[in-house]
Order: sequence, then C-alpha cells, then structure tokens
Amino acid sequence: MTLLSINKLDLSIHGIDILRDVSMSVEAGKVLGVIGESGSGKSMTANAVMQLLPNGAGCSGEIILEGQNMLDLHEGQMNGLRGKDMGMVFQEPMTALNPVQTIGDQVAETILIHKTAAKPEAMRIARDTLNRVGLPGEQFPMSRYPHELSGGQRQRVVIAMAIALKPKLLIADEPTTALDVTTQAQILRLLKRLIQEDDMGLILITHDLAVVSDMADDIVIMQNGVVVEQGPAATLYREMKHPYTKALFEASSHVPDRDYAEARGENTLLEVQNVVRDYPLPRTKLFAAPGHFRAVKDVSFVINRGESLGLVGESGCGKSTLTRALLGLEPVQSGEILFEGRPVVENGRVVSDLRRKMQVVFQDPYGSFNPRHKVSRLVAEPYHLLTNPPTGADRDRAIAEALDSVDMPVSAADKYIHEFSGGQRQRIAIARALIIRPELIILDEAVSALDVSVRAQVLDLLSDLSDRFGLTYLFISHDLSVVRAITDRVLVMKSGEIVERGATQDVFENPKHEYTKTLIDAAPQLPDVA
Amino acid sequence: MSTVNNAPRKPSLLRMVFGSLSLSLGLAIIVVFFGGALISLIWTPFDVTSLDIPNKLKAPGFPNLMGTDHFGRDVFSMILVGARTSIAVAVVAVGIGMGLGVPLGLAAAVRPGSFMDEVIMRGNDLVFAFPALLIAIMITAVFGPGAINAIIAIGIFNIPVFARLSRGAALSLWTRDFVLSARVAGKGPLRISYEHILPNILNLLIVQGTIQFSLGILAEAGLSYVGLGAQPPIPSWGRMLAESQTMISFAPHLALFPGVAIVLTVLGLNLMGDGLRDILDPKIRRER
Repeated sequence: MTLLSINKLDLSIHGIDILRDVSMSVEAGKVLGVIGESGSGKSMTANAVMQLLPNGAGCSGEIILEGQNMLDLHEGQMNGLRGKDMGMVFQEPMTALNPVQTIGDQVAETILIHKTAAKPEAMRIARDTLNRVGLPGEQFPMSRYPHELSGGQRQRVVIAMAIALKPKLLIADEPTTALDVTTQAQILRLLKRLIQEDDMGLILITHDLAVVSDMADDIVIMQNGVVVEQGPAATLYREMKHPYTKALFEASSHVPDRDYAEARGENTLLEVQNVVRDYPLPRTKLFAAPGHFRAVKDVSFVINRGESLGLVGESGCGKSTLTRALLGLEPVQSGEILFEGRPVVENGRVVSDLRRKMQVVFQDPYGSFNPRHKVSRLVAEPYHLLTNPPTGADRDRAIAEALDSVDMPVSAADKYIHEFSGGQRQRIAIARALIIRPELIILDEAVSALDVSVRAQVLDLLSDLSDRFGLTYLFISHDLSVVRAITDRVLVMKSGEIVERGATQDVFENPKHEYTKTLIDAAPQLPDVA
Repeated sequence: MSTVNNAPRKPSLLRMVFGSLSLSLGLAIIVVFFGGALISLIWTPFDVTSLDIPNKLKAPGFPNLMGTDHFGRDVFSMILVGARTSIAVAVVAVGIGMGLGVPLGLAAAVRPGSFMDEVIMRGNDLVFAFPALLIAIMITAVFGPGAINAIIAIGIFNIPVFARLSRGAALSLWTRDFVLSARVAGKGPLRISYEHILPNILNLLIVQGTIQFSLGILAEAGLSYVGLGAQPPIPSWGRMLAESQTMISFAPHLALFPGVAIVLTVLGLNLMGDGLRDILDPKIRRER
C-alpha cells in the first residue's frame, strides 16, 4: 500500500525554481533511496514533505500521506503530524542534539509534545526506544549528555527521537555521511531493522550510490530539481537509462589513469622513524603529574619519491595528529621525521627550505580559506616561504599559472572565496599547494567533502598533476574506495598504530589484520553491473 | 553553493556607503556632531564661560535656540562645546582600549593556557575587578581631576573588554584550517594574528567599539557628575545633565538637549558600526 505519494511537486523560493514536476512514492516497510548531488533538490524534497521550508517558498502539486494532502494543512496541523506520523533523521549528529539536555529528556520530548503519554510513561517509552536503537540501559542511562557519546551513538539517539512515536514515515537525510565506515554500516543495519519491525516507510537521502544499493527497494535519481530516473533498485542498476545515472555510477567507482610509481623503494623522500606524540591530559589531582594520551604510538614508515601513499583509519585513530607532526606543526615526543635524509625540525623550528617542499590540502573546502582575502592573495600565501618571492607581473603570472594548472580561469584571482563551490575551492587549495612547486603534498581527506562527480574530477586532476610535476602524495582518508583508486601503497592505522601496510592491491584483496578486514567489509559496495 | 559567474560588477566604495541606509544615516548624524564640535573650536553663538544672570533659564527661542541655563549661558553653545569634550573623551578612551586590548587579546590567544595567556588574562581580571569609577577616583587622587584623567580612567577600563573579546574570537579562529595552512606557509604567530585573525574579528571589534564609545560618553557624563571629569567652566554633556537635575520640573529643556545629543550620538555610532560591519564583510557586500 502506498504510504506517501508526491505528485507533480513544484517548489520555488523567492521566485527561483528549486523543484520541478517531482513525483515519487513510498510504501510501508519499504525503502526509497533518493540520490543526487548537492543542489539537486533532494533535501528540499524532504523538507517539502515535512513542510519545513524556508521563508518565501511556494509549493504546488500534491504530497499525500495516507490520504491527506500536506499542502492543504496549516502549520498547527503539520505540528501534530511532525514527530508523530513523520520522523526525521539529520546528517550531523554533533549538532542535531541539544548539548544541555540529557538523551532521555530529548527522546521523551517528542512523546510529551504530542501528549500521547504522561511524563513517567514517556520516560519508559524513551527507555524502550533507546534500547531498540542499540543503547541498552546498563551502559547508556538516560541521564547521559550528548557530549558523552560518540558520533555513531549520537546518531542512534537522533534515530530514537525520530521513531519514539512509531511514525509511519521516516526521512533520513544523509544519515551516515558524517560517520566512519564501520559506524555507517551499523547505522544502516539499524535503520533497516527498525523499518521492518515497525512497518515504516523510509526515505533515505544520500549522494552515495553505494550506501543505498543494498538498502533501497526503489531508487529516485535527482538532478537540478528534476527526477531524471526512478524505478525498482534492481532494474535501475541494471538498465541505467538516463546518462546522468550512468555518469553518477561511473564517478563513484572512478579510477583515474595514472602512471604507477616505478622506482619504488629506492628513492626515499620522507622517512618517519618511531614517532610518538603524547597529549597531556587535564590534571585530576593537584600534586600528581598530569597523565598523557598517546595519540601516535611508535609509528615508522617511508614515502618514496613519486609514489602515492595512502593512510587509512577512522576518526580518532591519530592520522590527523600524524599529519601535523609531519608538517612540523606539532612537536613529537620521540622519534624522527627525515625529509631527504634531513630532520624536518631542528631546535624546535621547521627548517624553512624543507618546509617549502611539503604542502597540504585540507578536508573542509569551506574552512581552509580566509574569507576576507581575495583568491590571488590566498593562492600566493606559500610565497612567504621564499626569501625572494616574485612580485608584480611575475607574481600575477605565477598565480595565473597555478590556477591554470588546476583548470581554474585566471579571472578567479580577483574574487573572494565564497563565490566558489566546494569542488572549485578544493582546486584553489591545490593551486595554493602547487604554487611553490613542493615535492610532497599531504592530502588530508581532501576529497571527502565533495560530490562524487566532483570527486572524480579532482582525483583525475591530482593524478595528472603528479605525472606532470613528479609530485609525491600522502593521501589520508577514511574512504577506502578513494584510497584504492589513487594510491600505490597503503598504511592502515588504528588507535595510533599502523596495523597493516603493503601494496594497495594486496592489502585490499588480501587483508591480513582483523581491523583491515572489518574496514573492507563495512565499506558499502556498488552492485556489480557489467 | 554555486559560483556566481555573471556576478554584478563590484560596486565602488562610495556606492556601497550610500547604498547602506544604516551606514549613511549613522554617518550623517556623526558628521553633524563632529562638525558641531569642530565649529565650536573657532566660533560659538555665545561665549560659554561668561555668565549672564538676567537672562537665566530662558525657554528655547531666539537668539538662544535651546534656551539658557541657570547662569544664563546659551545651551546651544554649550552643546557644541560639550560635543568636543564628550567625543574627545570617548574617542581617545576607546582608542586606548582597542590599541592596547586587542593586541593583548591576540597575543593571549596564540597559545591558550600558556604563561603569557595567564599573565594577560589574570591582569585583565584584576582591572575588571575595579569599577571604572574607582580607577577614576584613584587617578584623580594622584594626578588631580580633569578631562585628561577621565580619559585615561575610561581607557583603562576599556582594555580588558577588548582583550577578552578579541581573545575569545581569536581562539576559535586559531583552530580553523586556513590558519593551519598559513602555518604550513611558514608564517609566525605575529603575522597570522595580523593577516588572518584581525580581519576576521574586525566586525566584532567595530560593533563592540561603538558600544564602548557610547559607554565612554556615559562614563564621562558619570565622572563629570561626581566632579571627576571635565572641570567647570568647560561644559560637557554629562555635567549639563547632572546640573539640570534639580531644575527638571521648571526647565526641562536643560535636560532634554544634552540627553538628546547623547542618545543621537550613540544611535548614530551604532548605525554606523552596523553598516561598516556589513560593507567590510566580502560575503554580505556581494549579496546585497
């Protein structure tokens, strides 16, 4: 039976068309996967169902939940439905919970608002719901606060809030994008179990084809506010009628063409020897020495000139700490980091001619630029490392060259960073790293925040640049498919230690360590289509 | 967020200033008061130091546009000269507060929890612990009363306000990736503070600056009221208010005009601060 059907939904905000002629339907107990890249209107479709639209939005068409048209209801009636008949799970578990309320109160809140039960009864339902989402009472009393939980556990609380009243429809907007692969697999399993138990309909919104492939019964593919293809998952994956579907599918399993490093193991560029990084813990006793947290434990590895080395691990495994130590941004407690045989840090200072040979590209394309500077100034920032930086026309030419090498127009130099999309910003970040011709570029989750098609383009660009300029990459990521596509060798890191290392193909096909196996199993797979 | 390829051409500075209603309105008010203060340096309708007892407590009219006070002095002239005192006190006091407080706050934020941070912030707490009035009395006790000493006292009181604000804002900026990439480019804390931190906290400083400016005018009024600010016969808005207090029932214009002057100046400054903050932000600037 059809639970929700959206018929010919048009949506415009301040006169700009966001959605055109969108139709889809969800059945009870089934999963509808809505796939699209940022700006495709997939989240707006969800918000239209919940009638949580920004000011100035105008809707036409029909959104029918169990015979009732959402567009005919006024705000008060919608409030009666939200949380009761329709639940929603958001992307960012870190911000979706109120930090000053206990998890029990937050789950019970939904029940109390809809006055379906009195306080003690509501707390009992909240407890049951938390048990159902895998947060048992012995370990997770309801008096816990969100900051005491990990990202995956918080997402479970968010799910508990959404399903506390056993809604008929659950909307999950990128519920696992902010999570590690193993946690993602657990959350997806949980969602699947819950909708079967409660006979709910689930709309799963994501940009990741692999995530929906083993979850969804039906799939809708959206582009620029229009549904380009829809149908049962199995048929859709087999046929892929629309070129955009095909393009998406290819982009998410994209492997760039690259020349694999040949002189492997002969020409050492960077050597890391027994590096240890401790963080002091806050003092707990007045006169006792404060304890330490060892974030990086005795790590050693070598990066050869011209190769691309992957470093894989989940959040909190110490990979970012290691990156900062390599760049000399944080002191190490013991061990040595040698670049071309010379220590990177001497007398507590980074040797400046070595520093200019290492550059970095960060994950967040929105946070890694000073919003007050123009692109020309941003890109030229590493010139600070040169004793005689080019000036005037030479400088402009160098900036133009750097932008050109990442396929950005020269006119970009005069703009501010907020005028660019995420993918463009990441290109500018690469241009900034390239401008002083470094030997090694550290890519810290550099493509994790990008859409699949943009990600594929940036990966192509990176492999092209490495061929052209003989660059060496250290590729840090939690995304196995990306690491697999672009690296020659890979290191797997867990709790500050490197647990497995080897050629990328070998490690992925023949994982030796238990943890590597778990990681590879947890990674969502695209269905095999010839 | 998508690119704006066919973005409108960047508007000129002049256009931006007049395109913003709050900025142009604020600017207009401030120009009037600053202009008044400047004109009073060379000319005032009446002499504000000579008494004219027969003409005391006249209602607003001609030739005394805003009437006269209990000594027969022209209120309009006093407002003009008082603007000089009040504005000078507030500008210099905010200048002292920003000039010392912001660098201190930025320095403290470089390494939170370090010895320098502790010294600066505990020093701040110490100053905060003394009310401005107490500092003023202290300074007056040592150097004698006067407008200069009021300025110093209010300025000292402003330092911790700006130090705190800039430290707090800078702390969160120091964790951003763009600061990290500046460090990768080999920039030291001084340069990063100046190039990356300061421009990004400027909007906060401007808003706080206008608030402190208004508080400075009020503080000067307060100090003059208890006799620690500008000394008679130099008029100041604060003392005019204070003196009018006892006559409010039969000469309300004596309180009205300096009061309106203070309110308008503060309003103008706040409007100007708001507008300035907007045009200094490249994001808002383009979207307006």
